[in-house]
Amino acid sequence: MTTEPTPTVEPTPTVSDDTASDRPPTSVPDGATVEACPYCERPFPTDRLRALHLGERHADRLTPEERATFEETEDEEIDDLFVYHLKVVALIVLVVMGLSYVYAFALA
Amino acid sequence: MTAPDRSLLPALTRRGLVAALGTTLLVGVASAHAGSLGSVTPVSVPSWLFALTGGAVVVASFLFTSLLTDRDLIRAVNERGPTVQAPRALALGRRLLAAVGVVGLLAVVVVGLFVPAPPVANLAVLLVWVAWWAGYTTTVYLVGNTWPALNPFRTLAGSLPTLDRPLPARLATWPSVVGLLALVWLEVVSPLADAPRLLAGVAVGYTLLTLAGAVVFGSRTWFERVDPVSRVFRFYGALAPVQRVREGFVVGLPGAGLLTHGGTEGVVGRRRSPDGPVRADGGVASTAAHRGRSLVSGGDDVAFVVALLWTTTFDGFVSTQVWADLAGPAVEWGAPPLAVYLAALVGGFGLFFGGYRLASALARRSAGSYVTSVELERRFAVALLPIAAGYHLAHFAGYFLTFSPALAAVLAAPLSPPANPLLVVLPDWFGAIQLSFVVLGHLLGVWVAHSVAFETFTGRLQPLRSQYPYVVVMAAYTMTSMWLLMQPYTAPPFL
Repeated sequence: MTTEPTPTVEPTPTVSDDTASDRPPTSVPDGATVEACPYCERPFPTDRLRALHLGERHADRLTPEERATFEETEDEEIDDLFVYHLKVVALIVLVVMGLSYVYAFALA
Repeated sequence: MTAPDRSLLPALTRRGLVAALGTTLLVGVASAHAGSLGSVTPVSVPSWLFALTGGAVVVASFLFTSLLTDRDLIRAVNERGPTVQAPRALALGRRLLAAVGVVGLLAVVVVGLFVPAPPVANLAVLLVWVAWWAGYTTTVYLVGNTWPALNPFRTLAGSLPTLDRPLPARLATWPSVVGLLALVWLEVVSPLADAPRLLAGVAVGYTLLTLAGAVVFGSRTWFERVDPVSRVFRFYGALAPVQRVREGFVVGLPGAGLLTHGGTEGVVGRRRSPDGPVRADGGVASTAAHRGRSLVSGGDDVAFVVALLWTTTFDGFVSTQVWADLAGPAVEWGAPPLAVYLAALVGGFGLFFGGYRLASALARRSAGSYVTSVELERRFAVALLPIAAGYHLAHFAGYFLTFSPALAAVLAAPLSPPANPLLVVLPDWFGAIQLSFVVLGHLLGVWVAHSVAFETFTGRLQPLRSQYPYVVVMAAYTMTSMWLLMQPYTAPPFL
């Protein structure tokens, strides 16, 4: 059995360290706003996403200001998530009720 | 509630064998149904309602998983278990499997060519369709990928010299996509399950082609980039709870291997694991050459995964009345039937591929992200694998159970098989179980997509929003698959 390494295809660049692998390939549409990460240069459409990214991916390198911004933004995100989850619960109820109605009429 | 399962069983049965023994099966099922009715009046749920329920379950499961937005918790769920040292018996086991593979291939060829038994009592047919494609494939995604060891073509290629010609890098693994579509086309248009001699001939042809390829391009290149069968098992195997790593095996939840495949990267390429990279064929890489190669590493891999999903669907689609109605006019206008089948196969693949790419482009938009949609296609493709496996299980679990006594009886006496081997008549409720496999596959798909989204996107809301297009596609596909499973079997026309 041949085990010699033959040239293999690596269509995507190999990632070797955490910083690089945190950065998926991005493309920014012309004229769009860019808030780039100061550490890995990943572009974000809003500074809110960039602030969250800083806390998630570069937590150990943040300046005190960046940390404060992250914590503030994280709080906002969690508040918004609560509202989002209320909608989700409403939607779950809607799906179950809707399906029950359909069953009731289809099997009547 | 009772599934409309009388119609289900024939639809689930492989065409050729059905032709050979359709009457036996139908009579058996019909009498079993009459006998099982008793005093219970079954509630008949219309098939569209079944499909709608499946779609709703997928949507609801997305809504439920959206409640879990803690990255560390999501990672903890997908964390693989402890590494189990490979036992010393492993080498012996590999050799045993290799021997089983070669003997099996030999049996298919010899029995197929020289034993004049009808398909249902023919070892060649039963080995290929029941033992291998229905039974063995199931073990690959439910337990672990043993194909690199079992693969008889690889074992045979190992004893041949190799020229090690390079396969052009720009071909990537596209030859395997073409190969998969070609194999499925051949399987659909020819009576491979009905004509043991033809089956043996195809097996010989495939062996010669594979060995020639392995000699010219090297065994490793061929089985990693060209051979569609090895690639199918590689992707199905990544789903399994047992994964091979350098030191031995790791056990995790089904599907967790999709996210951590390759030891270092998985889909997302985020964290390193001490386990070392797994070679793309399921073996363990000894060099750094494969370090960082994730399970789905480019557009070619995405196309293969989509092709895998589409071909399972196509197989069911051609035995519906809808297909008969569509293909009829085309052939009447003078199109050659084989070309009509080929066009439908390739066109449907294009449709699926396009649909998936569109969903990824929409995901980029719904998430509000600058990550390229090509990258999203690559990362989320693994979520399609549980769906393909669920559909395979729905299709072939019943098939395997039905024919397994025949397989056992014929295995006991391959050269003088019983003329009319015993078959299992599945109870009515088995149809509902089969439909639930489709839904289960999608549920796992939803979870995998959720995990990928949280590794790819930022914050908590962006990953959730990115999943909308995929959830819509999955719900639509669940309904289509369930509808296909419930269609009465119609023999594919013009073949």
